[in-house]
Amino acid sequence: MDPVLRVEGLSKRYPRQSGLGSFQAVSDVSFELEPGGILGFLGPNGAGKTTTMKCILGLLAPSSGRIGVFGRPPASREARRRMGYIPENPDYEDSFTPEEYLSFFASMRHIPWSRGDSARMLGRVGLENWGRARIRRLSKGMRQKLSLALALQGSPELLVMDEPTGGFDPLARKEFRDMILEENARGAACFLSSHILSDIETICSRALILAGGRVVREGSMSELLSSQNRHRISYRKPGAGNAEELVELADLQAAIDRIRSSGGEIEAVGREILSLEEVFLSATSGGEAR
Amino acid sequence: MSTIRAFALMTLKGLTRRRTFWGIALVTLIALAGIGSIPSYDVTGEGRFMIDMGLFGIEIGSLLLAIGLASNMFPRDRESRSVMPLLAVPLSRTQYVLGRFAGAALVQTAAIMVWCACLGLILAVNGYYVPEAMLPASILLVAEGWFLLAVVLFFSFWTSPPLNAPLTLLLFIVCQMTPAQFSGLLPGAERVMDALRMLLPRMDVFHIKDPVAHRIPVPTAYFLLASVYGLAYTSFMLSLAIAVFRRRDLK
Repeated sequence: MDPVLRVEGLSKRYPRQSGLGSFQAVSDVSFELEPGGILGFLGPNGAGKTTTMKCILGLLAPSSGRIGVFGRPPASREARRRMGYIPENPDYEDSFTPEEYLSFFASMRHIPWSRGDSARMLGRVGLENWGRARIRRLSKGMRQKLSLALALQGSPELLVMDEPTGGFDPLARKEFRDMILEENARGAACFLSSHILSDIETICSRALILAGGRVVREGSMSELLSSQNRHRISYRKPGAGNAEELVELADLQAAIDRIRSSGGEIEAVGREILSLEEVFLSATSGGEAR
Repeated sequence: MSTIRAFALMTLKGLTRRRTFWGIALVTLIALAGIGSIPSYDVTGEGRFMIDMGLFGIEIGSLLLAIGLASNMFPRDRESRSVMPLLAVPLSRTQYVLGRFAGAALVQTAAIMVWCACLGLILAVNGYYVPEAMLPASILLVAEGWFLLAVVLFFSFWTSPPLNAPLTLLLFIVCQMTPAQFSGLLPGAERVMDALRMLLPRMDVFHIKDPVAHRIPVPTAYFLLASVYGLAYTSFMLSLAIAVFRRRDLK
């Protein structure tokens, strides 16, 4: 099956503000998002996440490389018709109401839309009582919910989300995660950029870590969280009960031999399971590239 | 087309809710009322001064409205990042420019028509009859207004709003000049200046204040050609705006 999103050798160079030279924001980034997958996109500030995302949305032209959304250029009408986007810190024309925005966006997407549809969609994202309020009265979190409602309009096959839970309280974040999982169960693929690692860990099937404009780690969540190097040895000490030891891969055999020679009985040897935060910190602080 | 229509309606709704629009519309109306209250000393009793000054006032109002409406549309969308969800729906950059222009043009047309109607009312209240040529004069003011709107929109894609206003004003003044006046600006480079003047529109084409004030009929052919001339320049400026915007990275 063709990937929903394919990024091949993406590089983006910006001219410096001084006009002298240029700055490499993203360098040779490649990845794919399969239909029905949820790909988490991580990286420290300035890693090139937003640049990559804007290239995927067709807002920036790549300096080199190719992007295919449903096999088409990202700025094509077909690609945009099948995609929903939630921006970071969205701001809208503040004299409008959420109902008006939903209605205008539906017209631009050629989706038949009624006031009842608006009420249902706003109810789904928790804005049921705010449909006719001016956007200037909405809080940051409410505007983010409006973004979600606009992105979900027309049941898109791909959801692109840039820091979507930034303005949410813990309850709203939980509701948001549930909604993304519902959309994924419906068949939508999701591309989620976030600094909130617990969100990525909870809902993503795969993750990609970007640092200095390059991909430094990529894999399924279980691959990423199981350490390639550190192993945990569980054993029984003679006359002293159970014990555990954490060793590097290079020292594993020596450690097993040492435990056995001292009369210990090895019960299990397995890779150390890390938290996403540990993986993120190790990858972005000069960890090995993919 | 329906995408542009939907976006134009959204633009129209947004613009009519801005204080800038109501401020300029009201100031122009007050100025027209002021012109109506100045005693007219013309011996023919045809209200020529009122017509002349009134149409000039509407032209300036239209220029201010073009700057007020269009100079901030794209910069505001970019700074608030509201342009991103807009362009992420199936709205191409060409449709964005055309939709924004169409929405602003509708607002401007309505304003010019209301101002012209008010001028007619002021003439009637002062005991003068409204010349027939007021209608073609208003339509040519609309054609000029659309061109100015397209110019401001074009500038808005590569300059800041504070720079947009003086650039538009400069173009407005230069386009009022005759070729002789224009080439006189740079003595010694008359040929270059003549060539440059040929590229810029002649705004005096849209001004039929004198025939209106003097009750001279305006030939239909002239009116039609002047309208087409205005639309051609507007289309040219919009094409430039689209070309600039399509190449622009939205950082």
